[in-house]
Amino acid sequence: MFATQKQPELLPYGKIREDLFRPLSGMTRKYFAAILIPLLIILFGAYAWTVQLRFGMGVTGLQRPVFWGFYIVDFVFWIGISHAGTLISAILRLTDAGWRKPITRAAEAITLFALMIGGLFPIIHLGRAWYFYWLIPYPNMRLLWPNFRSPLLWDLTAILTYVTGSAIYLYLPLIPDMAQLAQHNVPWRRKLYHALSLGWTGSDTEWHALERAMKLMAGIILAVAISVHTVVAWDFAMAIAPMWHSTIFGPYFVVGAIFSGLAGLMIVMAAIRKFMGLEQYLTRHHFDNLAKLLLLMSILWLYFTLAEHLTVWYGNDPADMAVFGARTRTRFAFLFWLMVGVNFVVPFVLLGIRKLRGITTGVIASFGILLGMFLERYIIVVPTLSVTRLPAASSNFYSPSWVELAITAATFAGMIVLYLLFSKLFPIIAVWEFKPHPHEDEI
Amino acid sequence: MAIDLDRCTGCEACVAACHAENNISISTPEQAAEGRTTHWIRVDRYYEGAFPDVKVKYMPVLCQQCDEAPCEPVCPTYATYHNPEGLNVQVYNRCVGTFYCANNCPYTVRYFNWFDPVWPEPLQLQHNPDVAVRMAGVMEKCTFCIQRIRRGKDEAQTAGQPVADGDIQPACVQSCPAEAMVFGDLNDPESKVSRMAESSRATRLLEDLGTKPKVFYLERGR
Amino acid sequence: MASVTYLLSEFRDKDAVASAIHSLRAAGLGTGDLDVFSEEPIEFRRGVLDRPSHMSLVSVLGAIVVGSVATLFVWWAQNNYAVVTGGMPVYSFWGTGVITYEMTMLGAVLATFGYFLWESGLLRKRDKTKPVPIVPPECICLRVRCTGDDVARPTALLRSAGATSVEKRASL
Repeated sequence: MFATQKQPELLPYGKIREDLFRPLSGMTRKYFAAILIPLLIILFGAYAWTVQLRFGMGVTGLQRPVFWGFYIVDFVFWIGISHAGTLISAILRLTDAGWRKPITRAAEAITLFALMIGGLFPIIHLGRAWYFYWLIPYPNMRLLWPNFRSPLLWDLTAILTYVTGSAIYLYLPLIPDMAQLAQHNVPWRRKLYHALSLGWTGSDTEWHALERAMKLMAGIILAVAISVHTVVAWDFAMAIAPMWHSTIFGPYFVVGAIFSGLAGLMIVMAAIRKFMGLEQYLTRHHFDNLAKLLLLMSILWLYFTLAEHLTVWYGNDPADMAVFGARTRTRFAFLFWLMVGVNFVVPFVLLGIRKLRGITTGVIASFGILLGMFLERYIIVVPTLSVTRLPAASSNFYSPSWVELAITAATFAGMIVLYLLFSKLFPIIAVWEFKPHPHEDEI
Repeated sequence: MAIDLDRCTGCEACVAACHAENNISISTPEQAAEGRTTHWIRVDRYYEGAFPDVKVKYMPVLCQQCDEAPCEPVCPTYATYHNPEGLNVQVYNRCVGTFYCANNCPYTVRYFNWFDPVWPEPLQLQHNPDVAVRMAGVMEKCTFCIQRIRRGKDEAQTAGQPVADGDIQPACVQSCPAEAMVFGDLNDPESKVSRMAESSRATRLLEDLGTKPKVFYLERGR
Repeated sequence: MASVTYLLSEFRDKDAVASAIHSLRAAGLGTGDLDVFSEEPIEFRRGVLDRPSHMSLVSVLGAIVVGSVATLFVWWAQNNYAVVTGGMPVYSFWGTGVITYEMTMLGAVLATFGYFLWESGLLRKRDKTKPVPIVPPECICLRVRCTGDDVARPTALLRSAGATSVEKRASL
């Protein structure tokens, strides 16, 4: 059935442009509902945060010794999701994999929004959040500076760099499309696109500069992305808490981030394909490749998890084993094994068996992976804190309160809203990048 | 500081004295069940054996004022640092509430103000004017009664004399009925605490972590 | 002063553009007189219409500069407000190495983006005298700047290379 259909790259340019620009105009009732419900959730989450600001962190479920809970889990989770774009854009761009072309902008958008959301949590989790700016080095009347040796300051610089880099990396390939759209019929859009296009004319000087910049940015952003999640991992690894102080955390978190990012990407791609009518552009082939990548990351994730836990178990250090037991045998055992099931077993079955591999199964596996990676962060953060080195100080079980759940839900809603707005303002597939240069030489 | 575990009876007078001296808030039973009590010094109980041969060990645990404290390098705002006297100080005004210090403390001796503190009437009239009352969002811990250390040093300076051993006593040391706790200058080899630290019964908590704690626990059988 | 005229020509395929550029350069026009406009990037073979670029160098320089400045600032700030924490030295290169690295990367990012804006001409004062062709779909436009009145020869070269249309425009 698909053999006779034209390959999307070979469709006439005008048709491609029409298809990709069409979703920008008009608003359906479905779209309106899709934006309204998340907005309400965001409002509720914002209210929950004001409650927390007013009364104190006591409204959360945190307690001594579990001083980090859902907010930190959320933080690591969202920064992890942000690796979607980097992998697809940068790595696939550097290796010149053609199938990435329709996916790059959608992936880069996920990266930027996930970073913006994740970057909120270092503020939200603070006991005195209104003083968050004390972490920024600025000349002040007390003549003091922040402590640059703290991993939290490393976090600040890493995320700042990554957000700047991602925003620029998203914006650069957008410029030619903005020039195309500058002839839009709606006046405010016309002004917006014209401003964003910076007067792009499409001359070869401009194209050369753009391509060079993008090639450089791809390499830079890849280096930054790896460092960002390593630095986030080092928030834990630099501490001497048992089963946090592990050398594997840096690479472990990077792999986990790419893993969860890809899962998020697959879900977003499926949604775009369905709701924006882009079946011709996001084909089974793309989902097949994404599924294979996801499978690879799943195996890699399992490898790292196994390596981490095996070495702890074999070493038999009492403090580590206390946490290990809590994770795998007692308090957190259900969550731990659920995580393994959803992160490895389910994707292995649904994506590994070729007959089962498809768009629907891919999306199911991806939702499972998102749950699994959220659980993985939870299992890294909470058990170590619950089981203290001095046994008498160990805690009752930590569970998130309504405030933490509301804010977490609000971030998911926020992602949906940001993405819906983005897809209405900008074409979700880069038109000029997508059409594979019919004038291209075979060198 | 040196604590003689063979003398400790687990009476928790030190805990009560610390509360009174340092304006520590009172917790309700619900808060205790939630793990949200604040006891800058707490008495840990370890049970050995089964009934009827049960043995209980009491261990008062307070901030160890580590020389290489793991809580200090991780604070992004220098709300906790090592002062020239060798104390690990907590600067309430500078604390933003990142919780990193508490996560890194292997002794779990840091306490957080989850809400603004409350005292049931009329306990709020009993506050010590020398000690700040902390607000919600700020981390706190034992300071070795730094207000008493300051006062002791000031008085010694006014009198023109050096501080004598035993002049300065934190509230817990002062209130211990078994005289199990001793406080002094570890740099002075003649002080009581230095001699106790050199005892064959002396050990330190979690010493192999390299935190260099300054609280010595004396226990028979070492 | 000789008057300047522009020839806006349209082509259907890239090889025709390449051969047109070739013959125009043989006739004495320089790369500064030629501009290709298109809706997607056109890759010519080496030597046809090269635009040398300093972007990699600028990127590296920007990285080094910002990274060094940031490291020096950290060193200065740590010493300016010298506080002992956990036995760590007041300034520790390894303890703040991540900041050095991230700021180096940030420098590279900003330098690349800034230089892109400059090199592409997007953020320079535009030369309003040059007419900009509107590129029809599937076409490539070649703009030739001719000094003086000798427009016939370039026009002929363009047509023989395969231009579908050649339009003469005076400078604006």
